Amino acid sequence: MTGLALLLSLAHLGLAFWAPGALSNLFGLVALGAAAFLGLSPQARILSLALLTLAFTLGLWRSGNTLGLIGLVGILVALTTLPRIPNWIRALLGLAILLVSVPLAGFANTFVFELGIQIGIYAAMALGLNVVVGMAGLLDLGYAAFFAVGAYTWAIFGSPQAQNFMQGNFPLPGEYMYLFMGIAIVTTAITGLLIGLPAVRLRGDYLAIVTLGLGEVVRILANNLDHPINITNGPQGITPVGRPPIDWFRHLMASLGIPLDQTTDYQLFFYLLVLLMIGLVVLVNLNLANSRFGRAWTAIREDEVAARSMGIPLLPTKLLAFMTGAAFSGAMGVIYAAQRTFVSPESFTLLASITILAMVILGGMGSIPGAILGAAALSFLNLDVLKTFSEFVRTSLPQIPSQVDPAKYERLVLGIILVLMMIYRPTGLIPEKRHRAEMEEEA
Amino acid sequence: MKALEVQQVTKRFGGLVAVNEVSLEVNQGEIFSIIGPNGAGKTTFFNLLTGIYAPDGGRIRLFGKDVTGFSPDRIAKEGVGRTFQNIRLFGAMTVLENILVGMHIHIHVPYFHALFRTPLARREERRAKEEAERLLDYVGLLHRKDELAKNLPYGEQRKVEIARALALKPRLLLLDEPAAGMNPKETEELQRFIGKLREELGITIVLIEHDMRLVMRISDRIAVLEYGAKIAEGTPEEVRKNPRVIEAYLGKGAAGGAA
Repeated sequence: MTGLALLLSLAHLGLAFWAPGALSNLFGLVALGAAAFLGLSPQARILSLALLTLAFTLGLWRSGNTLGLIGLVGILVALTTLPRIPNWIRALLGLAILLVSVPLAGFANTFVFELGIQIGIYAAMALGLNVVVGMAGLLDLGYAAFFAVGAYTWAIFGSPQAQNFMQGNFPLPGEYMYLFMGIAIVTTAITGLLIGLPAVRLRGDYLAIVTLGLGEVVRILANNLDHPINITNGPQGITPVGRPPIDWFRHLMASLGIPLDQTTDYQLFFYLLVLLMIGLVVLVNLNLANSRFGRAWTAIREDEVAARSMGIPLLPTKLLAFMTGAAFSGAMGVIYAAQRTFVSPESFTLLASITILAMVILGGMGSIPGAILGAAALSFLNLDVLKTFSEFVRTSLPQIPSQVDPAKYERLVLGIILVLMMIYRPTGLIPEKRHRAEMEEEA
Repeated sequence: MKALEVQQVTKRFGGLVAVNEVSLEVNQGEIFSIIGPNGAGKTTFFNLLTGIYAPDGGRIRLFGKDVTGFSPDRIAKEGVGRTFQNIRLFGAMTVLENILVGMHIHIHVPYFHALFRTPLARREERRAKEEAERLLDYVGLLHRKDELAKNLPYGEQRKVEIARALALKPRLLLLDEPAAGMNPKETEELQRFIGKLREELGITIVLIEHDMRLVMRISDRIAVLEYGAKIAEGTPEEVRKNPRVIEAYLGKGAAGGAA
């Protein structure tokens, strides 16, 4: 067993060196499966994981094939879930992947940065929704509304748009983006309060429907607030949205010996900014989960009557969960607006809300690594795997009509994945400890 | 000052009068039992006391303060802890976490301190955990603290529920059928435990119970409900001899024979 896994890992390293590309990466995924699921000693497992990290990095760097990124995500998952790996190795290998492998791959193929940023933004939002749905058990189908409020908060003032309705020197300089991340946290929390006040009085399905409706209200407001005063510029959206100047970042990187060009500088900057935000969000999430607030949310989810009899007031506690979740997506909305330099109502449809919810459910409700993995998996699926597959079909089987183009069946595939998951792994990919214990007991 | 004063409290569900103008008073430090046949409105009465239902008429006073129509969480803050007839622990939380939820109103960590886990938050959390562990030790379940509440055997779940109610530091403890499903040995243990609570913690205790042996041994006074109305009240001795009570339990005509 040990020999086989190590051999596969070494073979992948060789392949990544001599023949990098989709095939070698597929082989690497097999090797990763072997390293993770065969009964290895901890030492052998760590060694194969390290070898595979090296191999995937090499492959990505030389070919830019994004399957390698899936491999790296897989290794991160293995590092967080497999038992008996010393914590310093988990941290070391994880940081190496996030701070060395991914940027290296990004220099070879800037799409890797794009993917990383998207995954990061969605992961942070999934973590925010996780507070609402996973911890407090409040089914929120309008979560994208908060993302929209965050994005528009900066888009309006970080572009000439604000001149349409107020005096002043707009766009504001890019440095204000950092300030607006803070402001967006406040505006989204207030939106959360406004949406939450009527909504959280309701239970279960009713709550879901009302949040769905109010979420749509926000999107439709964004769509129609170009009259009588042009606040959101309507369906055309707002562009260009300002970005912070990053000369200091270029200098910093140059002094570290990393030359940046026009295409990669902002990508790397936003990638690292998103990583930093995720770190913060995870920390805050953990802190809350182990505080009186997190316990109160879980208690309400478990049994409202008992929770109230313990002195937990229902409405304020639920509102707090709502506002906390909303605030997470507010800050990410600002980054999203700045990174894209373009914001339009189309990005904040019901489908976006459902996708974020699907990420939380796919990963495992209430589970922090689960939410991140769910975000990674669905972002990959939407942005990369299906599109690559479509391209493959189009080039190699041109006689197939374009109506059956796989990229057009994104939602179908997502639906099938969710159905399969509900049958075979109803607690999600990385279940929260409590849920896992519950399911084991029932089995 | 009485621990609990209930004046002509009424609760209707549609045409059914579940609790009908019940009045009673419980002295501080007393162990007071409420008994009655199934469906007599005992649990509804508890739900009125704890704010789960708002009464349709009458007033409820706790330690002199009018709490009629208060929400459950405000009643809890007035110092009323309770358990439930069908155990309502937070099944997916550990035993220790259940106790910590019970301590919710006594853990003073502002939101932003919790968010960033400041030294103040850490200190409060540590203090709360130690206190919760002491409480678990007091009920003899410290060795179970990291298990999920739902995985405990029935008798221990009952104990955790009482411990959770105690975590609230109640002045008045309401126990809804604490001996349900317990064997005689466990019931005896429970009896000692309830006595200990009054002696050591000075808590006033009101309980609903079907186990007459327990009720007669432990109670200072007893109220009897039937069809939502109070039909008798007094010491165990008085209640035992009350013909109305015997009739309610055994049917008409039994009164003469049993007495």
